[in-house]
Amino acid sequence: MARLNDDAQWIILMGFLVSFGLFFLALIINQSVVVGQSTPEGVIEFPKNDIRDISHVIKEHAEHNGGTDDQVYQDITNISIHRKGAIVNYTIEQLAAHNHSLIHYNNGVTIYNENWTSK
Amino acid sequence: MSEQGQLYTIEGVAAALIMLLTAYMVVGATSMYTPGDAHISDMQLEVLGSDALVMMDTPANSSVRESPLRQMIENESYGGGQFRNMFMNYTNVSGYGPKHDIQFSANYTYQAGGTIMSARINSTRNLTGGEHAVRVTKWVIVNKKLPPDTGVLDNRAVLVEVLLWRD
Repeated sequence: MARLNDDAQWIILMGFLVSFGLFFLALIINQSVVVGQSTPEGVIEFPKNDIRDISHVIKEHAEHNGGTDDQVYQDITNISIHRKGAIVNYTIEQLAAHNHSLIHYNNGVTIYNENWTSK
Repeated sequence: MSEQGQLYTIEGVAAALIMLLTAYMVVGATSMYTPGDAHISDMQLEVLGSDALVMMDTPANSSVRESPLRQMIENESYGGGQFRNMFMNYTNVSGYGPKHDIQFSANYTYQAGGTIMSARINSTRNLTGGEHAVRVTKWVIVNKKLPPDTGVLDNRAVLVEVLLWRD
């Protein structure tokens, strides 16, 4: 009766290790597709520049003694809805020592509220 | 314990290493362009464009009250390529150093009597509809008659809108 040939078991074991390694590498590559899609989409949908910009322009307006009963307020709220698809609303309180402003921004995905007091 | 086949074992290890290395190089050499990756270049273009607009809306020094962008819109002095030169310098299309290949089309939007109107600033090329453009915007407060010439001189907020695409 022929004896069981148990030569080269290490080679077979190494073969297993390599195949498992390749399997896990493939798994990681598979995941990277999902990451590549969702991350830039998330970044691009977040209106970081819009929020900074609207906050900046409102503060600039407040510092030049602007209010909410003037043409700039009408321009900002109306153009925001028509050209940016965002609801923008703000109050400006001109106090003796400083200006106080509440800024509200909502584009349907992101809502931003700011409570700002100038020095 | 049998010590037979040690040479085979070493050969096996070597073979495994070679296979791993090959697989690693093959996988590294081919990059998959997923639909999501298209957003990465859009994102970079958007950041570049909005940074350029922010720079243009910053006064040159503390003695100048008005930013270059504001002056251009108030004086309508963008027609002679002023907007174009500045914007193209800031987005590294012209000037010194490595160049980008970016085209743009710029407008500003204002409100006149309850209707939203748009006025052309400048563009490097006309839009044909085939461009994959991103839009960057900047709010600017100007002291200007809007609509131009017929309106009342007042402080107004206008939205500068720039479409950017690579060509």
